[in-house]
Amino acid sequence: MPLRETEAIVLRTYRIGEADKVISLFSRQLGRIRAAATGAQRPKSRFGGLLEPLSYVRLCLFERENRELLRLNSAELLESFFAMQSRDYRVQLAAQYMVEAGERFLPEREVSERAFRLFLTVLRGMQARGEIHLPLLYFDYWMLRLGGFLPPLDRCLACGRSLTGLAARYSTESVGLSCAACQAAPVRQSLAAEIIGLLGRVATTRLDVLLAAEGLARMAQQARPVLEKWMEISAERKFVSLQMLAEE
Amino acid sequence: MSVFAGPLNRLIDELKRMPGIGQKSAQRIAFHIERSAREDAQRLSQAILEVKDKIRLCSICNNLTENDPCAYCLDPTRDPGLICVVETPYNVAGVERTREFHGRYHVLHGALSPLQGIGPEQLKLKNLIGRLKGGTVREIIVATNPNVEGEATAVYLSKLIKPLGVKVTRIAMGIPVGSELEFADEVTMLKAMEGRREI
Repeated sequence: MPLRETEAIVLRTYRIGEADKVISLFSRQLGRIRAAATGAQRPKSRFGGLLEPLSYVRLCLFERENRELLRLNSAELLESFFAMQSRDYRVQLAAQYMVEAGERFLPEREVSERAFRLFLTVLRGMQARGEIHLPLLYFDYWMLRLGGFLPPLDRCLACGRSLTGLAARYSTESVGLSCAACQAAPVRQSLAAEIIGLLGRVATTRLDVLLAAEGLARMAQQARPVLEKWMEISAERKFVSLQMLAEE
Repeated sequence: MSVFAGPLNRLIDELKRMPGIGQKSAQRIAFHIERSAREDAQRLSQAILEVKDKIRLCSICNNLTENDPCAYCLDPTRDPGLICVVETPYNVAGVERTREFHGRYHVLHGALSPLQGIGPEQLKLKNLIGRLKGGTVREIIVATNPNVEGEATAVYLSKLIKPLGVKVTRIAMGIPVGSELEFADEVTMLKAMEGRREI
């Protein structure tokens, strides 16, 4: 029964029996895994508030051969995102959207250092500013890109024409941008050139730099629905938390 | 072919559907029922049916009750100006065990949890706001669970209720009685420090 040590982000927990929990984790060294935490529901549990959603923790886990579920031995908190989620319902919705998307996009047991750093960067961005639009746009962009779902944003998918400095159109039923001249798909909505420019900046600029820039949050709010639609199309499902966030 | 006779098998299957009961426990309970007197089995089945037929939600506080309004809402010795808001009916029992709370209750039947599709619309909030409009309520004690969902629900409630001129308080969070500071995690310790009081 080898003991594994890993850093991880707690995605969510499920209650099992009277006192235990199963934790869904995105770990740095083992990828997305699940582990059983015995006694975690008890008030005097040694895990306390460490296993709350999106806690950044260092864990010791026992792994048994031919068993999918690992057993949590000990946990140490590295960074907590409890306060930001409990202060603002919109931030909680945004954080839970990340959990939903993560569980859909990250394959089990597949290590992805870049996705792990993305989670941390976005959570820290949200915690620092209490703002959700830019961090979520950044998250969507990089989740799509790391998953190989992001289409080229600089040219029309239908005719290949460059979209630099031009407004584009996007469909609510497929992933990708098209120029104003190509309108083959049934439902097309227009996207301003400045929004496409912002997506270009997201590709090349750190989130903390973007967050420090003036006026980008408003543009990010306009750009988010496009990438969120692409996330849903790529994931082949609707995200509950996203719908609730839209209703807020 | 099944190992047990048909009726026993059906009983085991039904018992297995209950939370925390697996195959072995279901078998043990099924054989216990088979061995027990007919009157005992009848009492059990009658009790199950009675729960389904007679238990409903109190129209004032949403607690589970046989008679509407429930005993807590009808009790004249309880302070109507103090309402403790909890997530589930069994949380009411938890508060009652202290024997120190003499106000009334309101059961939300959940907490804000986007991953489970529970938003404000799914919580029983409408009659809580209705109760506050009467002008008799002085204070709302939010006793939702001390986790992300419970905290977010508490903040949401406070934003909803404060404009009505009612005081909103949150139950304290921190170190459990009987434990030791040495073993407290950072989140719990932080909450304990935030919720400190003058002595």
